Amino acid sequence: MNNFNKHETIISAGIDIGTSTTKLIISRFSLRNVAGVTHVPRIEITDKEILYKSPVFRTPLQDAVTINVAGVQEIIRSEYEKAGILPSQIETGAVIITGETATKRNASEMLHQLSDEAGDFLVATAGPDLEGIIAAKGSGSYDESGKGGRVIANIDIGGGTANIAVYQDKQLLGTCTMHIGGRLIEFEQGKVRAISPPIEQLLGDQGYALQIGDPQNASAVEFVTNFMAESLARILKKNVHAQDQVLLLGHEPNWKQPIDTIVFSGGIAECMYHHAADEEQAANYDDIGVQLAEALVNNQSLQSFSWQEPIETVRATVLGAGTQTTEISGATIQVAPDELPLKNIPIYQYDFEENLAEGLSHIEDAVQQAVSLYDSAKEGQNFALYLSNLPYLGFRDVQTLAKAIVQIMNQRPQPDQPIILVIQSDHAKVLGQTLAALRVKQSIICIDQINVETGDYIDIGNALTSGVVPVVVKTLTFHTT
Amino acid sequence: MNEELIQQITKMVVEKLEAASSGQTTHQTSHEQKVQLFSQQPVGNLAAETKQASPSGVVTFHSTTEEVKPQRTIATVKPKPTTAYGKPKPKTETKQPTADELAEYRKKTPARVGVGRAGSRPRTNTWLQFRLDHAAAVDAVYGEVPDDLLERLGLFQVQSKVADKEEYIRRPDLGRRLSDEAKELIQQRCKTSPVVQIVASNGLSAKAIEENLEDVYLSLEQSLNNLNIEMGTTFYVDKGRVAVMDEIGDVLKPDVVVMLIGERPGLVSAESLSAYLCYQPRLGTIEADRMVISNIHKGGIPPVEAGAYLGTVIQKILKYEASGVSLVQKEG
Repeated sequence: MNNFNKHETIISAGIDIGTSTTKLIISRFSLRNVAGVTHVPRIEITDKEILYKSPVFRTPLQDAVTINVAGVQEIIRSEYEKAGILPSQIETGAVIITGETATKRNASEMLHQLSDEAGDFLVATAGPDLEGIIAAKGSGSYDESGKGGRVIANIDIGGGTANIAVYQDKQLLGTCTMHIGGRLIEFEQGKVRAISPPIEQLLGDQGYALQIGDPQNASAVEFVTNFMAESLARILKKNVHAQDQVLLLGHEPNWKQPIDTIVFSGGIAECMYHHAADEEQAANYDDIGVQLAEALVNNQSLQSFSWQEPIETVRATVLGAGTQTTEISGATIQVAPDELPLKNIPIYQYDFEENLAEGLSHIEDAVQQAVSLYDSAKEGQNFALYLSNLPYLGFRDVQTLAKAIVQIMNQRPQPDQPIILVIQSDHAKVLGQTLAALRVKQSIICIDQINVETGDYIDIGNALTSGVVPVVVKTLTFHTT
Repeated sequence: MNEELIQQITKMVVEKLEAASSGQTTHQTSHEQKVQLFSQQPVGNLAAETKQASPSGVVTFHSTTEEVKPQRTIATVKPKPTTAYGKPKPKTETKQPTADELAEYRKKTPARVGVGRAGSRPRTNTWLQFRLDHAAAVDAVYGEVPDDLLERLGLFQVQSKVADKEEYIRRPDLGRRLSDEAKELIQQRCKTSPVVQIVASNGLSAKAIEENLEDVYLSLEQSLNNLNIEMGTTFYVDKGRVAVMDEIGDVLKPDVVVMLIGERPGLVSAESLSAYLCYQPRLGTIEADRMVISNIHKGGIPPVEAGAYLGTVIQKILKYEASGVSLVQKEG
């Protein structure tokens, strides 16, 4: 029986495995019914409390292309112990693999392994756009954009990549990812130890020569950091030159509005603002990080924007992953408890465009497409059908809709799999009940008031005491180089 | 004047204004004569003008029109804003919300916010819309539930002790009692001691019943069927009040009464329905033992979803054998 009025807490973990550093955060969410007593309950996260922040660890690598999985596991195990938390207590959260680490050979495999081991419902996430979005939420840029109409770009620069996410009024306007980071040139005893491929190409394009073993203060190094700052300014202004292409990872900047304010977060921002100065100084990273931070601060083109200090620097992404990824479903839903948690369910969006009859006449093709998109080999990869822009539904409309859904779901390659429905409007309970009344043979997971789209993946956690389920919406695209 | 005529004219004007404002986004001043009695642009501080405490006790007036400075020859001594120490106060910046922001606010509420004004009065279309909404509210109270709806749902009709609408409004106590014929009729036609007795009543909005009863009722029925909870014989009370459920409880002895009743109409919606629930209501039941799910209409909780949710609420009432405040206490 669901008790909507009890104050409930859940523990969330965030783990960020980046190019140069790995960190972890444990927080506690308070959930409450925020609707009035005479209303249908609405459960929301009303408070977030950070219980434990780990130190910043060096990401353990086996070699240049392989992550040391055992090393990462060891960090997580010992940090959980220090925080006094057992993996079984973690009820939600996300492990995100960011920057260059996401290009490592065993990234995907390790991510899923970690998400299984480190908590009951810890979600695996990756993707350059998502990194920027999560960092913007952790650094405070997202909240700041809700205050008074400014267009704010959050630029999270770590070891390997700069992830830009642009927000206005808490709406995402666009993203862009660049090869700008501290670890792209590494030093050892005052000499160049490693140069990452995109930087090698950049140097070649621009007619500079830098070899392994050259001195740390070579003019080419200074050229690289200055070029990065200058190129970043051009990208922010959407003035992309041919010479900048080498630093772009993925798509070009895709926001339309001019940027007013820039916020730097990530390890490079730490070099600018020294938020963690009172902590034990992290080891000397021996790379271009500090020089890059200086180049950014001194760059004239970047001065045309107003600058704002982030609330978190190096921990922005992990904070975002730990505290900003979980959503709470509507309170009136229908879920089969035995089927939960469900992980990595791809979404197929079906838009009714406010017309039920017209929508139902094409829904069959939609499911065919979903199957061909996600389960082309007919191996039984299930998907969630997202019903958006439904018109106002009367009871008889719900019956018609439910019958159509049963029919199309029976055409899946493995029709016995649970029927997973996500509904934009508040209709999950009645649709779920109608399906139950039709005595469908499949289990039903029917949730609402979550916004997703085709290409997203969702993870649905165990039902909480109040009957709601935590949901994490994410992408799972790895960097391609 | 003829009531219908007024309605017709009002409707025509509203339509015309709507057509005009959707066709052109710019200010529609082209056909109007330019009489600049009041500024066409809102001036002054839209974000609530706060009273400034002035220690000297001088009353200050806030202008609602633009001041034309050089023409003022009369010495209007405006006290400079001062602090208690006579130092000029730093000007606090109050940002004027932009048109986009106002549109954002309007999206979040059906209330009449950010609708602008003409001089010191609401704009004509805002005012007419307001009158229309008020008229709809009045109509909802005086309207009747169509018979074919009750027939379609198989509900029979009984009366409260109230004779007509005027008496219904003046005498809430009579709306809380069943007429003698009603008592007899429900005794004859209804199942006694059912687990759940559903009752519908127009209450203060016949429109609420007309628009929402079918969807809520059918959805609730399905929900109770799914949960294997027995239902009694549903009927309709004309001109009932919520507490009429007490007398119904006395006559039929159900475990739970669900009363679907039209809410007092407001200016946002005139067709909002409430579902009142009570565990074993009897004459003398206190109000704290009743509970309600309100705001059931197109713009609120979708009626079909409300019906589905009511089933689980009833399940909970039956489990704890309590409703209202007692239920919250027992639930802990």
